[in-house]
Amino acid sequence: MKPKPEVVVLACTQAVPQPSALRQALQEVGLSGHIIQEPCSSKVEAFHLLRILAKGADLVWVVGCPEQYCQLAEGSTRMGFRVAHAQSYLAELGLETARLGFSRVAAGNPEGLAAVAAEIQQRRKDLPPNPARPRPAA
Amino acid sequence: MIVGQRKSLQELQEMLTGYKKILLAGCDTCVAESACGGRRETAELAAALQLAFQMAGREAELKETSVDRQCIQEFLVDVVAAAQDVDAVLSLACGAGVQALAARLEKIPVFPALNTMFLGETAERGVWLENCRGCGDCQLGYTGGICPISRCAKRLLNGPCGGASNGLCEINMAHAYDPPVPCAWEQICNRLQSLGELERLYTVKPSMDWSKAGAGGPRRVVRPDQRL
Repeated sequence: MKPKPEVVVLACTQAVPQPSALRQALQEVGLSGHIIQEPCSSKVEAFHLLRILAKGADLVWVVGCPEQYCQLAEGSTRMGFRVAHAQSYLAELGLETARLGFSRVAAGNPEGLAAVAAEIQQRRKDLPPNPARPRPAA
Repeated sequence: MIVGQRKSLQELQEMLTGYKKILLAGCDTCVAESACGGRRETAELAAALQLAFQMAGREAELKETSVDRQCIQEFLVDVVAAAQDVDAVLSLACGAGVQALAARLEKIPVFPALNTMFLGETAERGVWLENCRGCGDCQLGYTGGICPISRCAKRLLNGPCGGASNGLCEINMAHAYDPPVPCAWEQICNRLQSLGELERLYTVKPSMDWSKAGAGGPRRVVRPDQRL
């Protein structure tokens, strides 16, 4: 069976038009996260984030555009609210809210992507394995 | 619109103890508008409960469905069908929807995921205000379209109590409300003044008929022309 990725990144296609660049930035800090492209970070719903954690990921990260560059005007702002909303479920469950995070980075900014990757890597390092990971089938 | 609030995950987990196959049933009208029971919130709650059960090492199989209105029989057909192979249903509808569904599932328990709060208005994004108690004897024609029964903390019907300050109800002194609670009677007076109808309040109204508000037992409306 294919191992579940520990880190899942949902990336706005406007902020990260080339997922390979983000993949490379993650690899450079020693992470092989799974990247999912989104048309806009605001398309990421709280239930997406919770479902990914329920599938066993240790950390879920959303990458959106800087708020002033968001092509959907308030999409990136909404993304921040949604991550916070999903975090409120984790807090209620007694799970680390740090298992969900987000960054905002402008397209064509390799230094920005490197900083995002470093932040994800640090956060992953600080977190113990996900205690809600599903048990392997007997 | 009926406004609700989700029960705590702790309460829901306790309610669902002993059930393995659970159907979460959303309702896509009122409680979707008040962001607690629609399709989206059903998916959120299912994922959150999945996490909770996995943390507790508890085996559970969660299914999701959602219909436009759980309070109307015709809309319930799909939920009833989806519930046939589960041990319990967790309904994200208002209390009326939960009961309508429970009445159609004789052998399957139906639990409420929400606390039904009130009839309200979406005042702004993320803020829902109570503005109707369904009293059965609407006074809005007399009070300029502002309900003193739901919006006055003392439910006064004959003018303000005198405790308001700067247009705000005195209950704001006991609790930090965000947004603060305005004095409904000051709003009524201002509204009638701007309509040029302040003299309306000089009319002495007869006492409110509270028997229509539920004091006379469960209420019902029967329309012979609408019945089959």
